[in-house]
Amino acid sequence: MTCAEVVKQIPLYSYGEVSAEIEERIEAHLSECESCREELARYRAFADALSERKEATAPGLLTACRADLRRQIAAESASHTQRSGSNWFESLRIFSQFHIPLRIPVGAMALLAIGWFGARFTPEKFGGIQAGLAQPMFSNVQSIEPDTSGNVKIAVDEVHRRVVSGALDDPRIRELLLSAVREESNPGIRVESIGVLNGSADLQVVRQALIEAVSHDPNPGVRLKALDGLKQYAGDATVRKALANVLLKDDNAGVRVQAIDVLTAHSDDSIVGVLQDVMQKEDDSYIRSRARTLLQGMRASVGTY
Amino acid sequence: MYEAAETMSATLAAPLDEAGLIRAAQNGDADAFERLVRAYDQSVLRIAMNLLRSPDEARDVYQEAFLKIFRNLRQFRFDCSFHTWLYRVVTNVCFDHLRRRKVRKEESTVVETSEGPVDQITQIEEGGPAANPERQTWNRELSAGIAAALEELTPRERMVFELRHYEGLRLRAIGEILGTSEEAAKNCLFRATQKMRTRLEAFV
Repeated sequence: MTCAEVVKQIPLYSYGEVSAEIEERIEAHLSECESCREELARYRAFADALSERKEATAPGLLTACRADLRRQIAAESASHTQRSGSNWFESLRIFSQFHIPLRIPVGAMALLAIGWFGARFTPEKFGGIQAGLAQPMFSNVQSIEPDTSGNVKIAVDEVHRRVVSGALDDPRIRELLLSAVREESNPGIRVESIGVLNGSADLQVVRQALIEAVSHDPNPGVRLKALDGLKQYAGDATVRKALANVLLKDDNAGVRVQAIDVLTAHSDDSIVGVLQDVMQKEDDSYIRSRARTLLQGMRASVGTY
Repeated sequence: MYEAAETMSATLAAPLDEAGLIRAAQNGDADAFERLVRAYDQSVLRIAMNLLRSPDEARDVYQEAFLKIFRNLRQFRFDCSFHTWLYRVVTNVCFDHLRRRKVRKEESTVVETSEGPVDQITQIEEGGPAANPERQTWNRELSAGIAAALEELTPRERMVFELRHYEGLRLRAIGEILGTSEEAAKNCLFRATQKMRTRLEAFV
């Protein structure tokens, strides 16, 4: 390969977007050509500078967007129901679920359905129980005992929603947020709670929760969010150990890319072994190329022998 | 009603794979749809912000794109991956906004201040209050330089660059999203990086 050909390929090579054959030929050329190595270093400096950019997204923009979308979908679903006048329960599912936290079990949904549609369609039939049963967020009938006088005794377990507000440094608020991080059925709630907790990652208990999330959460979006919070603690030995594990074991390439970026922001020799493992096991060429660059930067060998 | 309730309970309790979520959403499960949205919406908002450089327009793109997905989800037949389809919708909505903007001739987001040019949308991490003031100035200038360099790219070049550099998508996937070949996406990325390097030569 000539220098001109190599220089032309450098951007694609840096992104890991050249074939294995071209990659080998470029590397063979680079090993013998100092000026092309310098060009590669200049290109990487340029790419790193671009990566430092962050968008000054207004705080709350994402939340506002999500709220807009929920409103719009609810409106569309409701108007569709009115137009079609059929299959109302189906539409109610769409309407209700967008307004109620996702963890609410079905029994409550059905009761709220009765309340909402009761007002619209059959007020005389359901109006009587709407006030009593529409409020609980979760109701479960445990037993039914009719008696001889014509009454019936029903045992109902109910969970009510309560709005709690307080400062982020309030231990009770923090405890609720930490419990939301473990909310199994709703990754959205986990992302939101981690987003809030990320600001308190200086606390050991929060950092531990973030480490747990990045290591074990089944949702890659949640793991990425937790990684975000751990960024500033990339120098902490426990965090580094967890991130090295993520880099080697996470099945999502996006998460692994973030992990290698965070790990290498505080580059030290302790990650040489991890990076060498990455070179052996990693399928993603971008991650391999990052690991290779870092190893070369640390003057460590690219493979283990 | 009980049967419907059972189905909903199952979707609430168990984390589903993406295909399962799509099928559930196609059957009207709003929880599944919301989970799909949340798996992608940060990336969608970031692309829209980077491309359009306006929070209001990014908010419009978010809304338009996900509503299109919502309205057309039943027609999705798994003949391409969901994320390819989603990003195709998002890129088309962004291109529409950029086309409309061409007519309106938007103002640049880079403004001159007493401390040099500053991009109002994009910033570089400044490393906190203790950071070196010279470094801060350099960062501000670099940030404005990147914004100006991005503005010189064609919408397609910019989209390819955003998707590859910031979203980490492979060029083959980007080609599929944009309805073109991997080779064409490669050429586009190459042109974009060339233009940006020329524009940012002073910084790197």
